Order: sequence, then structure tokens, then C-alpha cells
Amino acid sequence: MRRLRVLLADDHNLIRAGLRLVISQEPDFQVVGEANNGRQAVEMARELKPDVVVMDIGMPDLNGIEACRQVLDDVPDTHVVMLSMHSDEGYVLRALKAGARAYLLKDSAEADLALAIRAAAGGKSFFSPAVAKLLLDDYIRKLERTGAEDSYELLTPREREILQLVAEGKSSKDIANMLSLSVYTVETHRANILQKLNLKSVAELILYAVRKGIIS
Amino acid sequence: MSSPGQFGGPSQTLRWVLGVAFLGLVILMVVAGASALANLNRMHAQERAARRIFEERTQAITGLCFSIQTYNQTAEHYLASPEPSHADVEEMEQLQGEIDSSLRDFPSDSVADELASVRSIETLFVQQKALFDEMLAWPMETRRVRAVETIHREVDPIYNDILVWSKRLRTANDRSMRAADQATLEQFSQIQTNLTWSLVLALGSGLILVLASMLYILRLERQIQVRYAELARSRGELEMLSARLVEAQETERRNISRELHDEVGQTLGALLVDFGRLSAALSSAPAELREQVDHMKSVAERSVHSVRNLALLLRPSMLDDLGLVAALEWQGRETSRNSGTEVEVRAEGVPENLPDEYNVTIYRLVQEALNNAARHSGARNARVNVTGSGGRIVVEVSDDGRGFDPRRSRGVGILGMEERVRRLHGRLTIDSQPGRGATVRAELPLEAAH
Repeated sequence: MRRLRVLLADDHNLIRAGLRLVISQEPDFQVVGEANNGRQAVEMARELKPDVVVMDIGMPDLNGIEACRQVLDDVPDTHVVMLSMHSDEGYVLRALKAGARAYLLKDSAEADLALAIRAAAGGKSFFSPAVAKLLLDDYIRKLERTGAEDSYELLTPREREILQLVAEGKSSKDIANMLSLSVYTVETHRANILQKLNLKSVAELILYAVRKGIIS
Repeated sequence: MSSPGQFGGPSQTLRWVLGVAFLGLVILMVVAGASALANLNRMHAQERAARRIFEERTQAITGLCFSIQTYNQTAEHYLASPEPSHADVEEMEQLQGEIDSSLRDFPSDSVADELASVRSIETLFVQQKALFDEMLAWPMETRRVRAVETIHREVDPIYNDILVWSKRLRTANDRSMRAADQATLEQFSQIQTNLTWSLVLALGSGLILVLASMLYILRLERQIQVRYAELARSRGELEMLSARLVEAQETERRNISRELHDEVGQTLGALLVDFGRLSAALSSAPAELREQVDHMKSVAERSVHSVRNLALLLRPSMLDDLGLVAALEWQGRETSRNSGTEVEVRAEGVPENLPDEYNVTIYRLVQEALNNAARHSGARNARVNVTGSGGRIVVEVSDDGRGFDPRRSRGVGILGMEERVRRLHGRLTIDSQPGRGATVRAELPLEAAH
């Protein structure tokens, strides 16, 4: 059995030790290295080419977001699980923009870590339930207070379907295959979705999907 | 530092002294001038009186001599005439009267010398008159033969004596006049001396007064300079102190925050992980035990949250992790979540690598302004605009709340904002009126950052 190779990056030894213990309980997981700052994490990722990097967002020298960007630039096949104390969308959005697809709160790390690593390794998104809830709350509150229309209603059923698949991390080609459409059509749908929802990037689209509870 | 009282005491005395001295100087000059004028007037009167006396006496002497001469000529004419005229007798009697009254009425205030001369003339005239009387008693024949000869022999010497005495009288009179002139001259020079002294005194004391006044003014100026310098220094010190205070506060907050986050937070975090694993390991244990562990876990969770919130309050780690704009957006959302104020954050042209003190200043400013909007003014909406352009950053936070009068209510929060902005050589303006919302605006120049 090929085990999932995991690199841990956190500047706090205690946290790292805890995470290592959690991972060691999963028989198909293997911790291949531990870094205690962002720069070291980038170097080790280049060298070890792990399947998943579990990255603390706030680290000295090079913070987790910048380290994530560099790791994904250098080792495109790897996936990053961002570990954070903050559930705020400022963090989530930046982590998504940097390429991370899983966002885990440290509070619930112990319970959700295995799930997150597995989802990330499969190219899927994962968000701690508390994060999803907060994003949704913020979204609803804003709609209520500003009286704005929920732009989700503007989407066609096909567009909603594609929105979910994009948010789950599928490429246009995958989606085209799954739905028996041309890649060009899928791209057009994607552009329409972004325009209708007033979003600028896939990262924002994922955030939107999490907010709406389309993905978790 | 000196109190105003210490400065005021001697100055006040000096001021009084100067005032009194000026008054004294004026009085001195008025008195000196008035006395000089009075003296001059007196002198003038004296001189006029002396001249009048001189003229009176001169006239008296001249009149006397003329009368005596005329008397003698008339007497000689009468005596020598073959037909004596009664008119001559009458004239002689009249002249006799004039001479007597002249001698009698000669100014009595004359000096003894002159009076002696007058008496001598009187005596001589009496002698002369006696001779004439004797000759008048002669028979006509005798008179015609002897009178002229007798007159030449006996009367003329007496008349000559009279002339000599009258000349003396004149000389004495001239002398008196000269003496009077001399006295006047002396008085005049006395007045001149007095005036000169007064002038010297006035000039001298005036000079001293001017010097004293100048000294006084110089001293006042020096005092003002000293006080101004003290004021400037203490203001500078105050500014430095408050700048340091802000700096120290920020440093301290960051240290405590880091300590809380790195030590307490992480330890509690690790504890949470352990509790989780413990809880999982106890899945088959008695429910009571599991409940206890779950309870411990929830207590630890609460601790983690409060420590995290405290650390965030002290130093928002977003500033370090995500940068200024993200931290502001976070602050906006945080305010929206925890209050009834919906916050919109817009940022444009904000440089990526602003120095930390700019980040902190802008962040704290927005934090404080949003806090005021949400807590005190009950605003429904607040807007944060951060714009970087033309070498400066403009931060504007406006709300639609109750507003306030910025001239009257200046809380510690606003003072803190002002201090932070001033440290970066910026300008803070607060535009608000009761019932009209509020706009806090800060302009920060960026040149100073480099």
C-alpha cells in the first residue's frame, strides 16, 4: 500500500507533536518531514515532494500563505492544507488565492485533520465546519443589512452544477467529460458564473460556494 | 521653572521706581524753568528801577546846575544893569524856589556820598546867596562899579566849587548805576549757572532713566525669551513623551500579544489536541469519564478563544500575516459581526511594504473610529476608505451615526489618534455635527517613511 506522504510545517513544537500523533494513528499516512518556518517548509517540499503539506498560516521568516504559493509553484503536484487560528474570510480568501484548497482551524485540527488531508490529496476542497458557518453567517448578514439580492438566484441550473464542480476543484476538462460538454462551453459557463456573481477569481468562487454551503 | 510671581515681584518694583523717576524729572524741569523765568522777570524790574533812579537823579542834578547858573547870570545881569529890571528879581525868586525844592527833594534813597555832595552844594549856594544878598543891599552906584568885579572875585570860586560838587554827584550817580548794572549782571550769571545745573541734572537723570528703562526692557525681553524657550522645550518634551508613550504601548502590546499567542495559546492548543485524542481513546470508557474529559476540553477551548481574542486585541496578527488592507477588511467584518454597524472597506493604491508604524497607525485609527461608530454613535453603516497616491496615504472613516461636536467631546481615543498621526507628521481632521454622522480623516505623508 502506498502511503500518503505528509510534510508538517508549524513553528510550534507542541502543535507539531500533536499533529504528528494524530497522523500516526492513520495507517495510510506517513509524516516525511517537519519544518518550523515557511522558508524551511518550501525547501523541504522541493526536496521531499510530499503529497500533502500541512502548513500553519502564521510562521516567522516566511508566512504560510507565501510559503504555500512558493511550494505550489515549485511542486505543482502537491496539495496544501492550511492550518489557521482564524476563521475570517480575509485569511480564507488569501489561502485560496495562494492555491490551498483545504482550510483547517487549529481548534478542530485533531478531529478534522485526517479528513482534510484525505480531501486535499484527492484534489478536493475542505473547510472546517466553523469556517463554513462563519462565511455563511457573514454572507447572510450582509444580504440582510444591505438588502441586496442573492445573486445565486440568477444562475441557471446548469451553471449551478458547474459552479459546484469548479468549487470542488475540478478542471474545465474534467467537467466537460463529466457533463458531456465541450471544454469551450464549460469555460463560457464559468465566465458567466463569475460575472453574474460579481467574482474575480476561482478562489473567490470557492469562497462563495463555501458560504452558500454548496461545498463544505 | 519659575512661577510668574517670581518674575513679577522685582519687575513691579522697578516699574514703580521708573515711573516715579520720570515724574520727578518732569517736576524738576518745570520747577527749574519756572524759577528761571521768575528770576528773569525780577531782574528786569530791578534793572528798570535802577535806570529810573539814575535818570531821575541825572535830571535833578542837571536841573540844579542849570538853575544855579541861570540864577547867577540873572543876578549878575540885575546887579550890573544901569536900569535894574524888576523881572530879574521875580525870576531870581522863582529860581531860588526851584533850587531850594531841588535840593530838598533830591532822591532820599541816594548813598551817603551823594547826600554829602548835595549838602555841600546847598551850603555853597547859601554862601553864594549871602554874597548876592549883600551886593543887592548896596546902593546903585556901588553895585555898578563893584558888582561885576566882586562877582568874579568872590562868587565865581563858590560857583566853581558847586560845579565841582555837582560833577562829583554825577560821578557818584554813574557809579551807582554801574553798581546796579553789575548786580544785575551777577544775578543773570547766577540764573545762568542755575539753569545750566538744572539742565545738566535733567539730562543726567534723563540719561540714567533711559538706561534704566533700556535695562528693564532688555530684562523683560530676556525673561520672555527664557519663558518662551522653556515653553517650547516643555512642549517638545511633552510631544516626545507622548510619542514614546504610544511607541512603548505598541511595543508592549506586541510583546504581550506574542507571548500570549506563542506560549499560552500554543500550549492550550496542544492541550486541545491531546484532549481530542484522549476523548477518542476513551470511546469505550464509562460515560461519566468521557463527559468529564469533554468538559475539560470545552474549558480549554474557551481559554483558547479568550487568549486568542486578547492577543488579537493587543496586536492583530493579520497585520503581520496578511498586510494592512486585509487587516482592515478583517476589522471591518469583525465590527459588522459584533455590532449593528455594517462596515464597508475600500482600499486603493496602498503600497505593499509600508513601514510597520504606518500599518499600526492606520490600523489603530480605523479600529478606534469604527469602535466609536459602532459603540457610541449607533451608526447603521460605516465606510472605510484608504487611498494611497501622490506620496501620501489618506485614511477616511465615515459613519451615519449620531455624530458629536468635535470641539467639545475629545475623548482619549481621539487624542490617541491625533498623537499617532502627529508622530508620522500627518494631519487628523474630524468632521462631525450632532445628528450628522462623523468623518475622521487622516493624511499621512510618505516621504518621512524613507
